[in-house]
Amino acid sequence: MSPETNLNNRNQGYPPLSLSAKDDLASEIDSLRGQIAARDMELVRLKERRDAEVRELNEVKVQLEEAKSILEIKVTAKTKELRELADTLEKQVDDRTRELRAKIEESESSRVALMNMLEDMEDLRRRAEAEKEKTLAIITNFSDGLIFFDSLDYFSLANPQIENYFSATKDDIRRCIGKKISEMSKVAAFKPLTDLMGQALRQISRKELFLSETKFFEISSLEVRSRQEKIGTLVIVHDVSREKAIERMKTEFVSIAAHQLRTPISAIKWTLRMILDGDLGPINDEQRDFLEKTYKSNERMINLINDLLNVTRIEEGRHIYNLGMENFGVVIEGLVGNYADILKQKNLNLHFAKPGQALPQVKIDPEKMRLAIANFIENAIKYTPAGGDIFMEVLVRGDEIQTSVRDTGIGIIKDQQSRIFTKYFRGSNALKTETEGTGLGLFIAKNIIETHGGKVWFASEEGKGTTFYFTVPVAK
Amino acid sequence: MDTNILLIEDEEVIIRLLSRKLASMGYNVILAMDGQEGLEKMRESCPDLVLLDIIMPQKGGFEVLEEMKRDADLAKVPVIIISNSGQPLELERAKRLGVTDWLVKTEFDPKEVVQKIKKYL
Repeated sequence: MSPETNLNNRNQGYPPLSLSAKDDLASEIDSLRGQIAARDMELVRLKERRDAEVRELNEVKVQLEEAKSILEIKVTAKTKELRELADTLEKQVDDRTRELRAKIEESESSRVALMNMLEDMEDLRRRAEAEKEKTLAIITNFSDGLIFFDSLDYFSLANPQIENYFSATKDDIRRCIGKKISEMSKVAAFKPLTDLMGQALRQISRKELFLSETKFFEISSLEVRSRQEKIGTLVIVHDVSREKAIERMKTEFVSIAAHQLRTPISAIKWTLRMILDGDLGPINDEQRDFLEKTYKSNERMINLINDLLNVTRIEEGRHIYNLGMENFGVVIEGLVGNYADILKQKNLNLHFAKPGQALPQVKIDPEKMRLAIANFIENAIKYTPAGGDIFMEVLVRGDEIQTSVRDTGIGIIKDQQSRIFTKYFRGSNALKTETEGTGLGLFIAKNIIETHGGKVWFASEEGKGTTFYFTVPVAK
Repeated sequence: MDTNILLIEDEEVIIRLLSRKLASMGYNVILAMDGQEGLEKMRESCPDLVLLDIIMPQKGGFEVLEEMKRDADLAKVPVIIISNSGQPLELERAKRLGVTDWLVKTEFDPKEVVQKIKKYL
């Protein structure tokens, strides 16, 4: 119970007090006063404490406010940060999504590409297969006989023509498969072929193999390469029986034609010669003059026919020359000697520079070589005006003998020079100088020289002269 | 002793000219107008040399050469071909049959033929 409450209760409810009672009461009042003062002091203290507490609270409040505002700032910042983070994340997610989508698209297109590639591969495989079949069909149906040896020279395959050409059985072919050519000779049907080809595979170009009148073959063998790498060797057996038969017929025909053309003129030649030589009695000068002119015309006819026959032979592509070892110097000097009379008649000077050393041997057909050289000399004589000079020189150059025939004649017109070796061609200035001529001489000469492995060329200036050069390889 | 030359040739002008030339040079000329006759005369007269044409009626020059090659007595007789032909294939064939020389008529005259005969006798 508070002292105030006690006081109030006495004033309102209790009877008047005695003196002692008054003293008691005063002391009590004093005590109460003391109590009140103490109470007041306590109240003051309490108030101070409250104030302090209020102050404290206010401070706390201020602090809280501060804290709050700091927090708010922080929250705001954090929120911003979070938002930014969220934004970033969202962007990243977007990016990633896009990336993934792109990747998906990419992989989709890769897949499509792969599928296409697979389809292409399949297509290629099919095409390769078809190509292989086609190749096989070509090999099988090829008109030439074909044998293929693999990269290690083992017999790999042969087409049916081979069986046909060599009268070989399927079993013969089977016996050869996986064998080297040296072992193929054990199969009788292939012996002629292996005899021709030798014990090991090598390059062969159109070697003739004669089995019978109806089986005449040309054998070629060549290395088959793919991207620089040897993949095998192909032996080609080409049937030339028909060509050979035609060649024989052509020979017979040309023989008859030559006979028919030459028979009358050889009779004329012999008759005139014997009359001119006095074998058939004396003749007077006028008769001799006529007969000599006729004899010369007849000789021209003979040369014309010879030219035509030579061209026919050259065009047949047959160059079976009678090759023999000859002394080139002897051949050419003998030939030059033949022209002494005609040079004198035309008043031409032939200067023949013989080589300083003995000429090496050459492998030639002397008759054909004379014909070729004669063409150069005769042209020089024909197209050099009277009193002019002709220079001939023979020299050894490395493994060749080079001969030149230089005239001081009409020359060859510049824009006609490229045609000079063409069959039947005659220069327009040559035609005016010398009406006779077939235009075959240089064509024949060039063919003969080239068949001997030599070269022919010339240098010419119109009105000054022409030099023909040709080479003949020295025999090894 | 006379030198016998057998001339197997079907062309009259050539026969007359050549036999005249040969006779004038002192040779004894035996004539045959084709291959068959030529072979018969060859066996009869044993000539020292034969002048043989190639293209003739009945039996041609190559057939004569083949028969000569089969006959040991005739195989040794030297033969000079006188022909208007003369292609490489023919020359080769003649060579195989043992012919001594091949003269193309347009390239030689009777005088030169005689020179060749002298060379091979």
